[in-house]
Amino acid sequence: MNCASTSNAGMLWLLVKVNLLQTWRRLLSVRQQSWLLTTVIAMFLAGYAALAFVLFYKGLKFAGSFPGLGHVLIERMMFLLFAFLFVLLLLSNMIVSYTSLFKNRETLFLLPLPVPIQTIFQWKFIESAILASWAFLFLVSPMVAAYGLTQQVPWHFYPATLLLILLAIVIPACGGAWCALLLARFLDRRSFQIGLLVTAAMLIVVGAVWLKPVGVTDEELETRVLIVLDRLLGKTRFALFPFLPSYWVAAGVQQWAEGALEDAAFYALVMASNALFFGTLALTLTGTAFYNAASVVQSRGSALGRWKWYQTRRKRRAVDARQHGPVDRLISAIPRLRPDKRALIVKDIRVFWRDTTQWGQTVVLFGLLAVYILNLRHFGAQLTSPFWSHVVSYLNLCACALNLATVTTRFVYPQFSLEGKRVWIVGMAPIGLPQVMITKFALTTVVSLCVTVGLMLLSGWMLKLEIEKLADLGLSAVVMTFTLNALAIGLGALYPNLKEDNPNRIVSGFGGTFCLVASFLYIVISIAILAASSPWGRGGRIDLSWVLGGRAVFLGLSCAVGLIPLRSGLRRLAKFEL
Amino acid sequence: MIELINLVKKFGALVAVNNVTLTVPRGEFFALLGPNAAGKTTTIKMITGLMKPTSGSVRVSGYDVVQQPLEARRQLAYVPDFPFLYDKLTPWEFFRFIGQLFLMDSARIERVARDLCARFSLDPYLGNPIESLSHGTRQKVAIVSALLHEPSVFVLDEPMVGIDPQHARVLKDILKERSRAGTTVFISTHQLSVAEEMADRIGIMHEGRLIAVGTRDDLRRQSGTDGALEQTFLALTAQESAVDMQGVRQKVGL
Repeated sequence: MNCASTSNAGMLWLLVKVNLLQTWRRLLSVRQQSWLLTTVIAMFLAGYAALAFVLFYKGLKFAGSFPGLGHVLIERMMFLLFAFLFVLLLLSNMIVSYTSLFKNRETLFLLPLPVPIQTIFQWKFIESAILASWAFLFLVSPMVAAYGLTQQVPWHFYPATLLLILLAIVIPACGGAWCALLLARFLDRRSFQIGLLVTAAMLIVVGAVWLKPVGVTDEELETRVLIVLDRLLGKTRFALFPFLPSYWVAAGVQQWAEGALEDAAFYALVMASNALFFGTLALTLTGTAFYNAASVVQSRGSALGRWKWYQTRRKRRAVDARQHGPVDRLISAIPRLRPDKRALIVKDIRVFWRDTTQWGQTVVLFGLLAVYILNLRHFGAQLTSPFWSHVVSYLNLCACALNLATVTTRFVYPQFSLEGKRVWIVGMAPIGLPQVMITKFALTTVVSLCVTVGLMLLSGWMLKLEIEKLADLGLSAVVMTFTLNALAIGLGALYPNLKEDNPNRIVSGFGGTFCLVASFLYIVISIAILAASSPWGRGGRIDLSWVLGGRAVFLGLSCAVGLIPLRSGLRRLAKFEL
Repeated sequence: MIELINLVKKFGALVAVNNVTLTVPRGEFFALLGPNAAGKTTTIKMITGLMKPTSGSVRVSGYDVVQQPLEARRQLAYVPDFPFLYDKLTPWEFFRFIGQLFLMDSARIERVARDLCARFSLDPYLGNPIESLSHGTRQKVAIVSALLHEPSVFVLDEPMVGIDPQHARVLKDILKERSRAGTTVFISTHQLSVAEEMADRIGIMHEGRLIAVGTRDDLRRQSGTDGALEQTFLALTAQESAVDMQGVRQKVGL
């Protein structure tokens, strides 16, 4: 190649090529890992896709079986799903773009090189769009396949839908990147946190008012189905707003499935024109805005710094920094806790608390679950049946454990790796690495127990369960909390990544993926065992030996899944070379 | 040549770089010294275009870094204290990539890289992924990649960190050779011995201001000391702190 003729497009291609090579080599490095683990992960992903497909297929079949209403219900579900996925895609693009553009070492490396700012932005935009959207494609594929099969569409529906979805990805990618630029340019961390809390509070209020449960009597359900259905559909009419990009995709998909190819082509062209317009704007005119924002991000003082009260507060805090803080005092109150372990716990709590993204995600995950459980009270009439109460209580346990698995994989698994280049600090201390890990295990388990047991008690209260049932579910949650934390801590020590500071990258490695897969499989199998051997299942006509046997298998499985990785991890740390 | 003209950088209420004016001519080896948080790295970030000045301007080889960024960057090479490298590439692939970004042809990339790699003893590592290299070797890879396009301005932030004495000597020799051949070398360091041995002129920053600039002898005269650069540096920064304290006392009426 004649390098002297390299144009801006050539520069972009160089960046793409070098990153493709990096990605390809990362994929090849999977060969060096155990084929068994790789196979398990591949099977898990395939299993997820298959399960999602079956659930969508059965759901669409069920909805379609309502005479006269099936078509309307399916149509509305498609519009709603695309609307919500579109919002998630926008948020995901915003977060990934912010990280790629302003918190990424490659960006800082490229800025002083003779690469046009617009080209750097183009590459980071493409990278962010791919990173933010692959999961969207993975989530939507089983749904589209199930929809196609239930509607008995011709073969060309699938490539046409793929094209529509690919076009749809461009619009939130542009929106997300621009939102990230605006946030970076105009909001510092504190203003962003305040803005986020205010927006979240407003959304909760709007959601609570808009989605307020409506009482429906049995008589209305028997005689006025259409009126009730119309009321329900009225609440979801926002998804049919014709200026929403999600509307264009959903309408295009639906029209193509029905054979109205001209109408579908119209929506495809609307998508294409918007994607081209916004994509061209992003790829040609955003470079300067990006450079200005990047410069501001690196040189931002506190937004409150000009205020006298804030300066006084900072001075006071500088003095207070030498005193013991509230976390210190709280942990010191624990009797017989050795000072070295106390110091470690205080350090971990502070690091977690000061990283907004860490606890922010945890709050969102468990907050959503709490909102769902609190809403169970509105289904009081439907949950009077012991069967449904039984099913829902186990589903709640499953949802709670799945949330916990997400949290343990995301936050507990990288605990050891996050010591990273600083591992010598705790490694050289007389406490020893195994004790460090046991302390981390104790801390994360105690915190997790507060959340999981709390949620299970709330769930039991909402479902008005008897005390024995509540105790059974609570104890199961306790065992699962111990197991999931032990699994995450153990695998984190077995597959450490001490070179990486970013927990997202640590988790997305082989060990993190394996931790998530193992946790999910453990939860699914455990819930199946617990539900099948529940003393309250099948109207309480279950043999005691069956119940005890089931519980024994659950305990044995929990010990194996939790203790084996924990012990192996501790053994490895005892011989760990710093 | 590097020209800093009334350069100011503010982080909110904090003035990180306070009205710095400095010209480093072609072929000069300039060392920037200063205590922690003096504003050295911020100054370097503005020279390399990573940050826009709040006011004032920076010119690299006559090109304004903000107004003519591409022209300025073509003249410039920058090695930060913790350089970014593509972990899954080999050093040789990385050199080729950097050379292509600077529009160098393959033959020239190979010729210059071979010479530099031999001097830094990098040959045994050229086929290994960068992720497998030690900190010092990675630093050497970053320096070679920065020197590939034969920049007219070379900016280094703490370049000796992690490099063994033998290769630190090689780096010093190369920097001196380049400087004699017309490259402007601008180095920020805490290693006073490096500045003392290498620099044609030394600048000392303190709390955002450039409090002294000159040859070693100039600085000695200014500080009223007669020993090693360490004494000069400590005397100048202590004087400046005393002046600051006096100003504060006058302000509060003590």
